[in-house]
Amino acid sequence: MNGEPVVRVENLHLWFGMLHVIRNVSLEVAPQEVVVLIGRSGAGKSTLLRCLNFLEQPSSGSITIDGLRVDIPMGQQPDSRRVRDLRLKTGMVFQEFNLFPHMTALENVIEGLVTVKGMSRDEAIPIGEINLARVGLSDKRDEHPIRLSGGQKQRVAIARALAMEPKVMLFDEPTSALDPELIGEVLSVMKQLAYEGMTMIVVSHEMSFTREVADRVIYMDQGEFIEEGPPDKIFGEASDPRTRQFLERVF
Amino acid sequence: MAVETMTQPGATDQADPYLSMGQELLALDRQRRNIQRLKVSGVWVALVIILAGGLLQLRIEPGYIIEHAGIVLAGVEWTILVSLVSITFATIIALFGALGRLSNNSIAQGISGFYISVIRGTPLLIQIYIIYLGLPQIGQAFGQLGIPLLSSLLTLSAFQSGVLALSINYGAYMTEIFRAGLQSIPHGQREAALAIGMTRGQMLRRVILPQAIRVIIPDIGNQFIAMQKDSALVSIMGLWEVTFRASRFARRDSKFMEMFILAAAIYWVLTIISSWLQEILERRMRHAYER
Repeated sequence: MNGEPVVRVENLHLWFGMLHVIRNVSLEVAPQEVVVLIGRSGAGKSTLLRCLNFLEQPSSGSITIDGLRVDIPMGQQPDSRRVRDLRLKTGMVFQEFNLFPHMTALENVIEGLVTVKGMSRDEAIPIGEINLARVGLSDKRDEHPIRLSGGQKQRVAIARALAMEPKVMLFDEPTSALDPELIGEVLSVMKQLAYEGMTMIVVSHEMSFTREVADRVIYMDQGEFIEEGPPDKIFGEASDPRTRQFLERVF
Repeated sequence: MAVETMTQPGATDQADPYLSMGQELLALDRQRRNIQRLKVSGVWVALVIILAGGLLQLRIEPGYIIEHAGIVLAGVEWTILVSLVSITFATIIALFGALGRLSNNSIAQGISGFYISVIRGTPLLIQIYIIYLGLPQIGQAFGQLGIPLLSSLLTLSAFQSGVLALSINYGAYMTEIFRAGLQSIPHGQREAALAIGMTRGQMLRRVILPQAIRVIIPDIGNQFIAMQKDSALVSIMGLWEVTFRASRFARRDSKFMEMFILAAAIYWVLTIISSWLQEILERRMRHAYER
């Protein structure tokens, strides 16, 4: 893991009114690295993730992804074209899937290629099919989301993000909305992605997944990084009492 | 609805020895509902008979109604034409009005907010007068200033005035319907669209509108039904639609009750037919994305 980091966050702040939700966070993620953010709800994990593609507008700081730097001068709107370019370098998977219900699985996957990247449908369809195959859903290509199980929906959502060839995948609690028996299929797709060398930032409570796949675990509390390290270290011998307390309660 | 889905094949357990019990209950339930419906219809028929009987007692001439039914009924064409054209324009206005209301652009927000406030704050009848009688006056002024084009542009026919007034008026009310429809789409849809790099416009066109339209279309149907009746106001400009025809004969022969009851009945039937069509449309919209 060397070379330029794929993601670099510098001195990021986010305020919701008088709530300081993200407190001066800096983060670098190397190519092919898998970072898992853990922490109690309200700690700012999802918010931080959503700042990376500006679904949440940070209050100040800077975000660089794959060499494209977007500065947020305090209290100002960043350039919207740059924000859009930055979003194209990220793929996001949501807790609630957020598939487009009026499109089939395949149409969901190729939507960005056609509308955003300007490909013709004929060009986009093979790419869509490849990505549906990657998540094991080739046979569902013509189904609307309403006909898919939660696990299948989430896998289509992953395929939709992958089709855009992002430099980093952001997973926002991708299994939290799933029935227990459907979690495995989503996690195994994510594992496979990690082994293929995808750079990933994951907000997750899945202990065994984190142990197996994460290169680095970051424990967050009150909008700050409290402790970070390889999973063995964090889960085995966390040095900060807050981290230990959290891990005891959750796992 | 929920009861009917249970009768679908495969939905019930074939091995259940009490299967007939479920079917019996279902049949009983259906019977009860049919009887109720029959009774309600009976009350309707009774009310119509009482009303008609009462009117006949009061020297209403059914012969006059029958004699003039055809010619008044011919006005339905205009009523429907005015309503159809107006609802089309109103829908377009409402779409832009709603986009303006929801946009971050202060000019668009200001224009749409002002438009809605003025139109909803004034009577439709006054709006019709202003367009039909007021605008030509301004047009004349322009004509005297040597701008004949503007003069003729501002002098509208009865049909054009009616359509313009109804479109602008309903456009304002429907803006709120569109706004609510656009806002009813879950926030996650917006985020998913933005996350794959869409612009605001692409998001609206590809993700939000196609979903919102299913919510909005049944409401457009309701507005169309209401508009058919408001189109009666167009009669003041002498357009040969139902109300104008009815009132003409009513005044000429002093057959007010005869003619206005006839007109009322025509609108009523129109509404019943439109409601029925609207219900079909609504049912189809509800079963979205299931094919």
